[in-house]
Amino acid sequence: MKNWFTLILVLLVGVLAACSNTEKEQGNSNSETTGSDVLTMSWAKDIGSGNPHVYAENEMFAQAMLYDPLVTYGKNGKIEPALATSWETSEDGKTYTFKLRENVLYSDGTTLTAENVKRNFDAVLENSAAHSWLEAVAIIDHVEAVDELTVKVQLKEAYYPFLQELTLIRPLRMLADSAFLEDGTKNGIKAPVGTGPWVLTDYKKDSHAEFSRNENYWGEKPKLKKVIVKVIPDSQARTMALQNGDIDLIFGSGQLAPIEYQTLAQSGQYETKISDPLSTRILAINSTYGATKDKNVRLALQHALDRKTIIEHVLNDLEKEAQSLFAPGYPYSDISLDPYQYDTDKSIELLEKAGWKLEPGNEFRTKNGETLTLVMPYNSNEQVDKAIAEYIQGAWRELGIDVQLIGEEWQLMIARAKKGEFNLIANDTWGVPYDPHMYIRTMAGEQQIGYYAQKGIPTSDQLTDNISKVIRSTNEEERRKLYENILQTIHEEAIFMPISYRTNYLAANKRVQNLSFSMQQYEVPLNTYEVK
Amino acid sequence: MLAAIWGVTLVSFFLIRLIPVDPVEAYFAINNLPVTEEAIEEIREEQGLNKPLLFQYGLWLMNAVQLDFGQSFLTKTPVAEELLSRFSVTLGLAAAAFFIVIAISGIIGIWSVVKQGGLVDRFTRALVFATASMPSFWLGFVLVYVVSLKWGILPLMGWGTIEQSVLPAFTLALGYIPYYIRLIRTSMLEEIEKPHIAFARARGVKESIIIRRHVLKGILPALFTSLAMTCGGLLGGAAIIEAVFAIPGVGRYLVESMAARDYAVLQGFILIIGTLYVIFNFLADLLCAIVDPRARLKRGDI
Repeated sequence: MKNWFTLILVLLVGVLAACSNTEKEQGNSNSETTGSDVLTMSWAKDIGSGNPHVYAENEMFAQAMLYDPLVTYGKNGKIEPALATSWETSEDGKTYTFKLRENVLYSDGTTLTAENVKRNFDAVLENSAAHSWLEAVAIIDHVEAVDELTVKVQLKEAYYPFLQELTLIRPLRMLADSAFLEDGTKNGIKAPVGTGPWVLTDYKKDSHAEFSRNENYWGEKPKLKKVIVKVIPDSQARTMALQNGDIDLIFGSGQLAPIEYQTLAQSGQYETKISDPLSTRILAINSTYGATKDKNVRLALQHALDRKTIIEHVLNDLEKEAQSLFAPGYPYSDISLDPYQYDTDKSIELLEKAGWKLEPGNEFRTKNGETLTLVMPYNSNEQVDKAIAEYIQGAWRELGIDVQLIGEEWQLMIARAKKGEFNLIANDTWGVPYDPHMYIRTMAGEQQIGYYAQKGIPTSDQLTDNISKVIRSTNEEERRKLYENILQTIHEEAIFMPISYRTNYLAANKRVQNLSFSMQQYEVPLNTYEVK
Repeated sequence: MLAAIWGVTLVSFFLIRLIPVDPVEAYFAINNLPVTEEAIEEIREEQGLNKPLLFQYGLWLMNAVQLDFGQSFLTKTPVAEELLSRFSVTLGLAAAAFFIVIAISGIIGIWSVVKQGGLVDRFTRALVFATASMPSFWLGFVLVYVVSLKWGILPLMGWGTIEQSVLPAFTLALGYIPYYIRLIRTSMLEEIEKPHIAFARARGVKESIIIRRHVLKGILPALFTSLAMTCGGLLGGAAIIEAVFAIPGVGRYLVESMAARDYAVLQGFILIIGTLYVIFNFLADLLCAIVDPRARLKRGDI
């Protein structure tokens, strides 16, 4: 008996001793990786294989670090040069000719050529089913390499947001010839070789990735020498890692819940920052389902939404109140609409008008024996969505509206949304550089949330007609008019309830400086960051 | 045993297909991309997902027998490779936790029986009660907070060094320790009541020999069966611990694959875990038979 005990005790003590011994070494190696010019940040997921032409499992911020587009999205939607220095659009809007930048080097030392750009486009076109959502890909007829540095893209039809969609992080960014597999890129790539400001120098799946500055970068080189990305899936663990100094930066609303951000901000020990509006957090109302077929009910809901309370208590004041589908400043979106004010009296009046009466003794309004029930599915893993849904359920009970919440896994919720089995559902606009055309366009596509929102309104046909017209139009003035018309109809029919403009936020150690946000929600502008 | 494993293949293949939403739809949904039904159908065809189920099952089974679990839909990499690299991590974590469970609950359990009613016994009972009612992931956070953040003794997260494995393994083990302390304590007390122990005492055999040779040996069969089940449980429970401690193990991978409905990965995983379960139980039976001749008689030849 005794020797059992001693054996186990010795073992335990040995393990503990080993731990405390190696502790010092651990400390040393830590300071090495977090030295000057090196920034360590967390990310919730592995960055993926770094294939620029496909979607998940690749993380967009990493793809954006490694690869460059032909053109980029500047302030107020101005298209600016990147790998292409200039471009021309033909009169009919169907031919785009790009002049490529000279002497752009890939990280393997090869030079960017028109042939290589064509190869990238062709690889994307070969996987067209996966990219069918993106008109910029679907609309391409063929791509030609005219000379060493000139690329001509021939479209099947005119499509005005073509350049805008070329700025996307994926799929139209350029990979070096040496990285292509024989069947293109849809089944993977050999190695992530791009022209971007960063080069992937070390990678261990699900653990960490190390990016080093691309010394041959054609643009302004990053200030930092290295960026180390540690995969930390749990948000509390991320916060603790920041407090412990294991990481310097937590970036983005996907990594930090509002309440966690606020705690870090209030402690005063960290650099914290909130971005400008990125996209719009909205509730879509189904005009083809149940009680919300009635415009008066939809209007009543608009007046019943207390944005201030939601923003203050659920979003911890991290987002600004939204009154329009797209934030002011988006292309074609600066039109004046009369916003629906929070006014429960008006809301009740509208419900009464629609025939939903509150009988004495009843908790909820009824009409012809039916209860005023609104089905609202939400993603049970999204804490913010859940809190908003629960708040609405409670607040609207006082108006006699029975909100039925269905919390379910994301995939199941999407499947339900596709069938149109909802009255209310959380939905986001797409943000820069997609909007306004992308969110508007999905409204015309069957099975989309936006589609169910508009399908039941009397002017649905005219609306979808305008939507298909606006993306084909080559006339700026005509587009402006069409968008105004579309946004007007959306507002009048009360099919979307904007809640707030989504923002990104970050928390960093004080030694990190020049912190900023990118126009694109899924891009981390690490190029400008510095560490002391 | 083979029949059991075949059953596992059936379950892993068909049960997964009962879950609503298939991998192609899921792929676009996690990327938030609005695609048409035609595009989805096209990719389904490309992936062979629209072939008859039995055909798909046969194909998968044939490859699985040769340890080829197919390709992940999401990453286009071979599932066997992906699972293997992660399994080694999770198995390491589970094994470490397993030994902690045995060591701690063994020491405390036996001690509390030997010194029954003493201070240790009473303290243990209180401790068992307290820890059994705390969720282990929460306890994990408390441990991380105190040990790593406040005291700075052990690293916060990661995997690869011994000191990185102490906290996660201990957290994972915590959930099982109270159970085993109780199991050891009660079954030992039961064993002590038995006539052959009283007889041994009457013969004047030393108490330590009684405990070691007779009581402990008597409870081993029950312990082995339980431990075999725990092995599987530890592998499953590792998922949460892996998320908290940022460990690149199989549990986290599985959760992500589930969200993406990555059939090949899920099937491969269930098959491996199921097979391990079957093997662990087989080993437990074997060990029982070795320590307890009665089991050998009852079960015939093994």
